[in-house]
Amino acid sequence: MDIKLTEEMSIMEKLGILSDAAKYDVACTSSGVDRKGDGKGIGNSVAGGICHSFSADGRCISLLKILFTNECIYDCKYCINRKSNDVPRASFTPDEVCDLTMQFYRRNYIEGLFLSSGILYSPNYTMELIYQTIYKLRNEHHFQGYIHVKAIPGADPVLIQKVGMIVDRMSINLELPTAEGLRQLAPNKIRKNILGPMKQIQMGITENKNELMVYRNAPKFVPAGQSTQMIIGATPESDFQIMTIAENLYQKFDLKRVFYSAFVHVNEDKDLPALPGGPPLLREHRLYQADFLLRFYGFTTDELLSESKPNFNVLLDPKCDWALRHLDIFPVEINRADYQLLLRIPGIGVKSAQRIVRARKNGNLNFEDLKKIGVILKRALYFITCNYKMMYQTKIEEDYIVRNLLTVKEKLPLQIGDLSYSQLSMFNDSNYNGNTNQIQLFQELKAGVM
Amino acid sequence: MISPYGKRIDQYILICQDSLEGVFSAIYDAYADKYDAQITRIQTAEDDNYRLFATYVQMQPDQEKTKKVARTILREFGEETYTDICRALASEDADKADAVYHAICSGLKMKNKSELMGNLANNDVRHVFELSRYAGREIMHMNGFLRFQELEGGVLFSKIGPRNNIITFLAPHFSDRLPLENFVIYDEIRQLFIIHPARKQWTLVTGEYLDENRILKFSEREKEYQELFTFFCQKIAIKDRINYNLQRNMLPLHYREYMIEFNIS
Repeated sequence: MDIKLTEEMSIMEKLGILSDAAKYDVACTSSGVDRKGDGKGIGNSVAGGICHSFSADGRCISLLKILFTNECIYDCKYCINRKSNDVPRASFTPDEVCDLTMQFYRRNYIEGLFLSSGILYSPNYTMELIYQTIYKLRNEHHFQGYIHVKAIPGADPVLIQKVGMIVDRMSINLELPTAEGLRQLAPNKIRKNILGPMKQIQMGITENKNELMVYRNAPKFVPAGQSTQMIIGATPESDFQIMTIAENLYQKFDLKRVFYSAFVHVNEDKDLPALPGGPPLLREHRLYQADFLLRFYGFTTDELLSESKPNFNVLLDPKCDWALRHLDIFPVEINRADYQLLLRIPGIGVKSAQRIVRARKNGNLNFEDLKKIGVILKRALYFITCNYKMMYQTKIEEDYIVRNLLTVKEKLPLQIGDLSYSQLSMFNDSNYNGNTNQIQLFQELKAGVM
Repeated sequence: MISPYGKRIDQYILICQDSLEGVFSAIYDAYADKYDAQITRIQTAEDDNYRLFATYVQMQPDQEKTKKVARTILREFGEETYTDICRALASEDADKADAVYHAICSGLKMKNKSELMGNLANNDVRHVFELSRYAGREIMHMNGFLRFQELEGGVLFSKIGPRNNIITFLAPHFSDRLPLENFVIYDEIRQLFIIHPARKQWTLVTGEYLDENRILKFSEREKEYQELFTFFCQKIAIKDRINYNLQRNMLPLHYREYMIEFNIS
């Protein structure tokens, strides 16, 4: 095998360097495909995915997430492995990757393999190496667990097709939301080279589905679908732009997931924004909230944001924000409203809505029942009635509800911490500059409460 | 309430064995002997203090009765409810048997019986649902958090200490995943073993005792892979996002006792 051997490194050192280099990739799900073992090899796959451990940053460890090599011919400014960075470089051999995967898997440490790579020599060369590794794993070691591979932008479509037949999920990182940002920060990457393979994988999946209808045992092409990832906060796009792109990706490219990755400062470069407040985690959180609204709650981007209101509210989650702008449809009668409407009530999620629909078949529900079912009443009470009665006497006024909702602290991911207004100045959010009015309003409200 | 013999009775309490078989047989007998569900409880353990005006009846487990009840549940309520009931009975809750019994009673009166578990406004159903969810979550977690260690000779060994009696729920998953491996899962709290010989069916072994220090010798490379994985777990965390609270939320401490990446010396 013709790989630049990084002298004689131990496996431990290589694993250190190459997992360190892979950690900024967010996609670490093992979901989307249900496959029983055939009794002849090792491994199966569960549709919901399985988390095997959690690292100190609270992210799940599901797959052995490594780069094949962190040598790279590209010079993307946000990336730790950029050509001009002086970091230790290492490469695995296919056998080493196979051995690690197999031994970790049988001890139940991991759910499968996530293999990405820096670009060694050329995209084709790298993609071929990845193919050989996965081929070995599938055919020599009979590994039937989950495999997620990054398609290398610019690699030959034939290679991508070949890899797609033996992996579960493939993804191509969009890296930055717009072509403009890409030009600025990743001068060697071209938008066309990212969207091209994405389209190819989508077509492959559709074609394969048609084949499977005729030949049930035809080999499956990327059965768990494809995903992508965008870096948030490195370039000045608004939330509206980002969500529009995500919506397009879901609709036009049938993506399973779009991941948002708060920009982490790893390189010093004049083109990168300074982030004294750390990565824009609150913004990332709001984007994920909105992403879930798109995928599971039947919302569209236009309902959540618009040209004139391009960023999410810092203080309220997107669904609350939407509800407050549509007070005309509230309060909603729990025992009558259809499922789609239930989903739009703040404090009611997919699970609670499903449970409500099932439970009310056996009789009218009251507030006590809703609480047991799992509805967050302290948020929902302004928007619902049970048997045409509200829980307390409340006004249906925007200011009144906002004031009350803000006293009930939103349960933010622990890292983002409490949302108190003294901390607002710390946010390095794009929201901060555009929305001074909102902050003023909030201060006034806060003063009103106290 | 006055019994036929003129004695005042507030309650019948049926005591049964703490197992699926025990509870199902008790439910069968409660129906067969026409106990009034409103004043009857089924318990898996005796009360610490006996109640006044309650009649305690000891029930015996019986395979035939168990099968009949299981069949009835599957036929009337469907697989979802059956799974929920089995999981609920795997929990350590003191009221589990009674909740299952009364949930079934109320379910049999429903028009659309397959919707039993949807009737969350009913307290017994909700109790079964909650217990099932609790055990189900632990099963889900253990599928991921369970760790095998390789013994000399290549047998994989895993020790667990779950809060619910879920070892039989784990076995099918791992047998499907590792069909060519010899593995043993050992529930340290309840002294239960799952033994899976390569290419064969798994079996549940009870009543054995394991002297860990004498028997367990780990294979040569075991330590090396443990170190590799521990190192991987450390490396994969992003420093700017360190968040131990979130980690503890997702992976509670009581699981970590059995996970090698948190216990390496």
